Amino acid sequence: MTMDRHETIGAMLDEYALGQLSQDERRTVETHVRECDTCAADLRELVVVMEGLAHSLDPVTPPPALKQRVMSSLASQPQEPARTVVEPNAVAIPPKGVKIRRGVHPGWLAAAAVVILGLGVALYSVDATRRLLIDDVQEAQAAVADLQRRLDLNAEQADLAVSILTATDMQPVAMSGKENATGSTARAYWSPTRGLLIVANDLPMPPPGRIYQVWVIGGGTPFSAGLLGEQGVGRGMLIAPPPRGVAPGAVTVAVTDEPPGGLPAPSGSIRLAGSL
Amino acid sequence: MHLVGRLASGDMDAAGELYDRHAGKVLALARRILRDDGDAEDVVQEVFSQAWRTATRYEAGRGTVAGWLLMIARTRAIDRLRARQSRPDTTGEVLLEAMPGTTMAPSDQAIANEQYARVRQGLVALPAEQRTALELAYFEGLSQSEIAERLAAPLGTIKTRIRTALTTLRRSLRP
Repeated sequence: MTMDRHETIGAMLDEYALGQLSQDERRTVETHVRECDTCAADLRELVVVMEGLAHSLDPVTPPPALKQRVMSSLASQPQEPARTVVEPNAVAIPPKGVKIRRGVHPGWLAAAAVVILGLGVALYSVDATRRLLIDDVQEAQAAVADLQRRLDLNAEQADLAVSILTATDMQPVAMSGKENATGSTARAYWSPTRGLLIVANDLPMPPPGRIYQVWVIGGGTPFSAGLLGEQGVGRGMLIAPPPRGVAPGAVTVAVTDEPPGGLPAPSGSIRLAGSL
Repeated sequence: MHLVGRLASGDMDAAGELYDRHAGKVLALARRILRDDGDAEDVVQEVFSQAWRTATRYEAGRGTVAGWLLMIARTRAIDRLRARQSRPDTTGEVLLEAMPGTTMAPSDQAIANEQYARVRQGLVALPAEQRTALELAYFEGLSQSEIAERLAAPLGTIKTRIRTALTTLRRSLRP
């Protein structure tokens, strides 16, 4: 934490306590305050001052009917469950034999699964200090609930990603860029029983009218694993079960550019490749 | 079991007791902010509803119960005021839980009352222009630039007034 930042945030504490900051600014302050005892102490005092301002008014006598109204409104309202922390194993490991539909781009689901796992672990690890992080926990729980809803719709695909990553026979494949993709990075995870997960970053745009196709090459023969789904600029992902026919043993994973829809055998240039 | 704990277990008598103890303060704050009795009473209902719903999540040691209720009241009332004035920004509820270490505000009501009394005395003693700027920020939920506009004063001047006022009030907390 630089002194500049500390001073910038320190100057925002008044506005924070008065509720004058935007949500982003509030987050910035809260993040700093958790790490900075000086600012935390300052803020504690400011909150006492704020409460003092609220208390500076003389109490008034509420109209008698108001109590009746309040009490009857409470009777019809359920109470929220006590706060709980999401367990890290929020994503179930799927049973064997889960299949994925080809042609769907399930990359975001893998991202969702990774996010859920990450959130679970993060929430778990902060358990001791969760009082400091209640706001984040609430947001994370909302995010998890949202993701869980989406995952329910596409559970098979998300499950496949998790099953590949957690398979006992999974091996990471070091990928490197070729030709005009030498600046690209990619990570691939191959499980002969579960399938392939590949994430590529900083990929150049495919040539006009071409797409990227992923191949698993075993015993010298390439088998299509599917098309690399776009995950935003320069980013691609594919999660697929093992292509049929791949010979057991060492494989090479490769990405080539091909015409839309892909081909049964590669025809274009290899842009990314890696071998076990 | 303390009052909020009883509230969390669904005890309506505890809700009645909480109301009897604090409704007068909550209504006073809501009226000061909204300057409308009907709206202020709606806020009182919202505050006790929120307290009822979320009592299960109330953390003892985060300050006094009155402080908790008043913070909800201010947030609700200012949100309502802004909606009325078509100012869409919502008030940030100060995140008590963000503070590491010991409790945010004194949980002991007697100590808290003493500190609140100091703030009140300090507020009365502030120079008028500082007090006005601070009250516009606290009771009307105005941003510093909105206060500058309202008072036709430069933004820097308003910032200084509020900072000076808050520094004075913080000093008043220390015996």
